[in-house]
Amino acid sequence: MSRILIIEDDKKMSDALASGVQAAGYDVLTAASAEEGFYLVHSRHPDLLLLDLTLPHRNGLDILRQLRQEGIDMRVLILTSHNTVEDRIAGLSTGADDYLGKPFSFPELLARIDALLRRFLPSKNEPQILIGDLRLDRKSRAAMRGGEVLELTPREFELLLYLAENTGRTVSREMLARDVWRETSRFTPIDNVIDVQVARLRKKIDDPFKIKLLQTVRGLGFSLREPQH
Amino acid sequence: MRQWWPSNLRSRLTFWYVGVLAVLLVVYATLVFAFQYVVLSKQIVHDEIQDVETVEGLLFFDSTGTLQLRQDYYSRPQSHLLIDRMMEVRDPSGIVLYRSPTLKGMSLGGPTRPGEGDADFGERLTRLDDGTHVLLISHIHGMDNRQLLIRLGYSLAPLRARMLQFLLVLLIAIPLALLMAAIAGQAIARRALRPIERMATRAEGITAKNLQDRLEILNPEDELGHLASVFNHLLNRLEQSFEQLQRFTADVAHELRTPIAALRTIGEVALEDDRGERSCKEALSSILEETSRLSETIDALLLLARAEATQGAREPKAWPLKSVVDEVLALLEVLSEEKSLNVFQEGGALGEGSIRADRGLLRTAIMNVLHNAIKFSPEGGVVRVSYSRSETDPQILQLLVQDEGAGIAKGEHDRVFERFFTSSARETAIYSGTGLGLSVAKLIIERLGGSIRFDVQATSGARCLIELPVIGREQ
Repeated sequence: MSRILIIEDDKKMSDALASGVQAAGYDVLTAASAEEGFYLVHSRHPDLLLLDLTLPHRNGLDILRQLRQEGIDMRVLILTSHNTVEDRIAGLSTGADDYLGKPFSFPELLARIDALLRRFLPSKNEPQILIGDLRLDRKSRAAMRGGEVLELTPREFELLLYLAENTGRTVSREMLARDVWRETSRFTPIDNVIDVQVARLRKKIDDPFKIKLLQTVRGLGFSLREPQH
Repeated sequence: MRQWWPSNLRSRLTFWYVGVLAVLLVVYATLVFAFQYVVLSKQIVHDEIQDVETVEGLLFFDSTGTLQLRQDYYSRPQSHLLIDRMMEVRDPSGIVLYRSPTLKGMSLGGPTRPGEGDADFGERLTRLDDGTHVLLISHIHGMDNRQLLIRLGYSLAPLRARMLQFLLVLLIAIPLALLMAAIAGQAIARRALRPIERMATRAEGITAKNLQDRLEILNPEDELGHLASVFNHLLNRLEQSFEQLQRFTADVAHELRTPIAALRTIGEVALEDDRGERSCKEALSSILEETSRLSETIDALLLLARAEATQGAREPKAWPLKSVVDEVLALLEVLSEEKSLNVFQEGGALGEGSIRADRGLLRTAIMNVLHNAIKFSPEGGVVRVSYSRSETDPQILQLLVQDEGAGIAKGEHDRVFERFFTSSARETAIYSGTGLGLSVAKLIIERLGGSIRFDVQATSGARCLIELPVIGREQ
């Protein structure tokens, strides 16, 4: 089981992160200060570090710099409310593997953690994805369900493919905006666009069938999965 | 190293003023001194020449053949130059025939020089054995068939003494004059700069609390009056933006309070509720939706801050307006399709004009306007996007977006651009977003040197007119 260390001084945030990450099947350690964090890094050897940048006494970037100088091989994901392009560049150039601005959606955090730890091996190489009786063909960009070919626009196919690649997981609107629509930020119009696009996709892939695959998770986003009984 | 340098403007002005004056005075005094010296020397030579002519008439050989000077001439009134006269007469072989008693037996000018006194008076400076400097002239005079070389000179000591006196007077007078000039300069500078001091004191007293205070303008015509009015204009702008900021801060606080109130109520009700997990999840979902709205508001506020800092003219790149509109329409296509809207563009060729801008911001502005048009259009309506050039200024590209929605309520054509504005019209209330979309668009477009407004005359639907400066062909 991969071990994740969370260095975050805000107690509520830290607790919420810890329970969420634990529920996702990881071994979790938490530290509220840089010193505690260093101690845990050296004694427990976590695989991934979730690092807040604004810590008491010591800046998160300092910690990161020192860890990299010591040559410690560990994935580092920065979580911060300092979210400008410059902050991002500073974080990544100091040696972070990824950077997530607060407030972020939890599904997205999990997706990034999974990607960094390669827990879910990317299914990108498989030519076909199967979810229940839904079959996606990457090469011909065709979708079929129950033997019927679904007529999808290119955007709808891309959306479905993304949901399918992340099957079993909830995908937030932020993730869709960035990864499917390739927008750098989320804003009101894009949210409307996503909602309408998902509704239309649902009409095509779910409405004619008894079993519904595309779920809306209120407040979180969407998920494509076979319903559990 | 710079410690000697006066720190205040008044002393610096005086310093320069006195410095320049000192240089001028020294140059002037040197010139006067030199001129005086030359003139007085010339005067001596002139006197000597006259004297030589006088002396020529007074010289005679006595019975023994010795050269004598007629003494009875002394009975007449004479200048002391005559008393001080030094004279030597030599024959062509250099033998001294006469030497005046004033020379006290010393030679005047040494051995005869070849050609001396032939053509002119050959004035020159020489030094007697006792060290006296003498300005002497030579002249050849024929008498009793003999050639006589007359040398006549006056001591320069009186002249030098006078010049020394003159120098002393100058050395005392110049520093005195400079001192007086410095005092006067300080006083004048202080007087001239006093209004600035007053302005500074006044300006220092202006803080956020009394931003409405202004500097008094004594004379609007002079430089200080100009400075004061420039400063007052600055204060005007400052006061305006300060008020705007205050209003904005209050608005933001209010706008953030609304969703937080909702969050709180949802949470409190859910905790009191015993209906179990289902209603709990329901409450959590509402909370998440509410936070997502909050974050959108915060993003829009950050976007406003970013737009505030941009300036179209300084942007390195320009983009064809139509390409941006096309991109936005493609993104929003699914929304217009959903409502079966007919979106079409007119005058597309004109839309190829390029706008200097940060593409992301320009796109956001246009997106907000087009999204509004689509949002407020009725099912099956028409959204018309047309391009034209301004009739008054061909460098202005106009983008007109017209929908068939409810239009803008009377009297709200300007207010829709206000931050956090929500229309009083009932049918639009259900569409409320962050309330910042149009103010973001307006700020961005104005930063790009353009303008945006809703046509008051539009009878059906809303007509939004955006004007943007296009870059010239040569660019």
